[in-house]
Amino acid sequence: MERRRPLLERRGHAVAVTMVAAATAAFYPGREYFAKGQWALLYLLLVVLVAAVSGVRPALVAAALSFLAWNFFFLPPYGTFHVADPKDWLSLLVFLAVGVLMGWQTGRLREREAQARAREQETALLNRFSARLVSDAVVADVVELLIKQAAGITSAECIALFLADEFGEPRELAASPGVSCHRSPEVRRLVDWAYRNAKAIGLPARPTTAESGDWPISVSHPEAGLQADRSDVFLPLQTSTHQSGVLYVGQRADGRPHHYADMRAAVALTNQVSVFLERKRLQEIAVQADALREAERMKSTLVSGVSHELKTPLASLTATITGLLEGGVRWDEARVREELRAVEQDLIRLGSSINSLLDLSRLEASEWRPRFEVYELGEILGTVLSKLPPGQRARVSVTLPENLPHIHVDFDQWVRVLEHLLGNALQYSGPESPVRIGAAATVSEVRIWVEDEGPGIGPEERGRVFDRFYRGKAATQTSGTGIGLAITREIVQFHKGRIWVEDVAPHGARFVMALPRADVGGG
Amino acid sequence: MAAPEKPATILVIDDEAQIRRALDSILSTRGYRVISASDGPEGISLVIEHSPDLIILDMAMPAMSGLEVCRELRAWCAAPMLVLSVHGADADKIAALDAGADDYVTKPFSAGELLARVRALLRRASGQAAAAPVITIGELEVSIAQRRVRREGQEIELTRTEFDILAYLAQNADLVVTSKMILEKVWGPEYGADTQTLRVHISHLRKKIEPHPSVPRYLLTEPGVGFRLAAG
Repeated sequence: MERRRPLLERRGHAVAVTMVAAATAAFYPGREYFAKGQWALLYLLLVVLVAAVSGVRPALVAAALSFLAWNFFFLPPYGTFHVADPKDWLSLLVFLAVGVLMGWQTGRLREREAQARAREQETALLNRFSARLVSDAVVADVVELLIKQAAGITSAECIALFLADEFGEPRELAASPGVSCHRSPEVRRLVDWAYRNAKAIGLPARPTTAESGDWPISVSHPEAGLQADRSDVFLPLQTSTHQSGVLYVGQRADGRPHHYADMRAAVALTNQVSVFLERKRLQEIAVQADALREAERMKSTLVSGVSHELKTPLASLTATITGLLEGGVRWDEARVREELRAVEQDLIRLGSSINSLLDLSRLEASEWRPRFEVYELGEILGTVLSKLPPGQRARVSVTLPENLPHIHVDFDQWVRVLEHLLGNALQYSGPESPVRIGAAATVSEVRIWVEDEGPGIGPEERGRVFDRFYRGKAATQTSGTGIGLAITREIVQFHKGRIWVEDVAPHGARFVMALPRADVGGG
Repeated sequence: MAAPEKPATILVIDDEAQIRRALDSILSTRGYRVISASDGPEGISLVIEHSPDLIILDMAMPAMSGLEVCRELRAWCAAPMLVLSVHGADADKIAALDAGADDYVTKPFSAGELLARVRALLRRASGQAAAAPVITIGELEVSIAQRRVRREGQEIELTRTEFDILAYLAQNADLVVTSKMILEKVWGPEYGADTQTLRVHISHLRKKIEPHPSVPRYLLTEPGVGFRLAAG
């Protein structure tokens, strides 16, 4: 493997020297038994052996040494580099050439194989890694994995990932456990530099033998504005369109410079993570765009719902009042009063619509923060009922158990909830029809319900009645914004409660709310 | 209720001309003398000039907010102040009471609602309420002097504390009464913070005086503020 090349090479030179020396020692006693040229063949075999074990350079060293040893020990006159027979010069030169060529070829072959094996391992690693980068992977998990893998590949103790925040400032997202080297001002400065210039810093040069690929443009530390050279590396996370951050790879545990092969794997990992992050970013943008479209749609529904809701009473008010003001008619007092009662009804309707819209916008803007306090349900009901006109109040009966637990709620919000439910029940059932309010405690909840004897709500509508602007089939003849139940549900959910609607026999609807009990912990 | 013999003067401070007109119409037809100002500083100078018996004050005004006017006036003026607030501005109401306002009405309000508050405030300011030997609240008859309470003629037994609370609420019928006011009146100034005890007594009181004990009709809760004994 390339990463071990310097070590092997050093050992390889020693191997070459040792093998040539040993062979010479072994051949020497048999000097007289074979012809001088046959020794040359044995030396060539040795060179090939060295090349296979230690690569090109040791093979070349072995070839040179063998050339000298053959000359010194086996070509007369023995013990000198002087060659007596001029024909031997030719043999010597041919020997050197063949030795060098064979050593070089064999060594190259061996190194190619080692490179191929390294690449295979790298590919396997990348494949394993990319399998983890499925689109539903969590960014934090991927980042943690990246840091672990990068540390494994590069033997750097300190790895850190910086991602750009919404202001385009690279911020530390994660780092190898328990390290702080990436927090030094120099590192921060170079991280910034690498991010802004979209260039790597400190990558080892690509060997001429390596094929070109996605090798980032890299500069030295001084080129990035630092005084001295260092052995840490800054890799920008980039796709063709977007810069997302910088991977910092600290120096190796053994203090030596990073190797090309390690860095190539690290760059490949970084590229994969960049693509993953870019995909995540685009997904997020898509989700936001969806939300915006939905908000737009809601807004236009709101506008049409609101204008209808406000215009209708306004039209009837205008008609009634201009009618009263019209000259030439003699109104008796009873008739005027009757007209004014109608005006009052319109105004009440207008007022409650406006209040609901205000509530909705306050809920929407999270400006209606509940003030939780412990109340008896009856206290809240008292306030709700006191606001009803006497005729409607007479239709409402309340049955609460004697020992009903107190509830932990925002008083005003619950007044509104009960007003909406009570208002609906009174509106959607006959003018004389009774409306009942009840409550009961279970082990963990307080249940409160409002039931009427109206037409009820069909199963197909039950899920939708809490949607904004949804107005039930029964509602087509009556007025309402269709937001009362939406507000109700939002408030109930604010209180960690549930709300649903059920049937009442023989006909009617029962809206039930379940609130966690304040007296049994957690509430 | 009959119009007062000597007409009470009511100052209306509101920047909206329509509200001033409506209030003027409602109040002057009931025999009150109405003066009005369109902003805080003008209102304050009218208070100095006319010493009104009651001030009706809008909370949301440009230049000087109702809250500021409230604070400023309360420093030297004893006349009761009724604040007009809007839907959803619960925090404003509480701030106004803290700043010295006596009660609030939420817009839009009916003439009946407003008049009930106006009468109750004037009654309290005149000292009539405190002097009345018997106060009738719907079906309830609270006999202050005899320390007895009857509902539809039936005698109701109350403890001493319960009676004191009820008597105080009855003397301020239709008006908001803060927990602190009740605590100081019934227990003494040093008990101003013990709202929990008060709530227990209120709960007992409700069980005894309310026709439907679990759903109060008279003794209503004003969340975050206190209570109100509704006569209507």
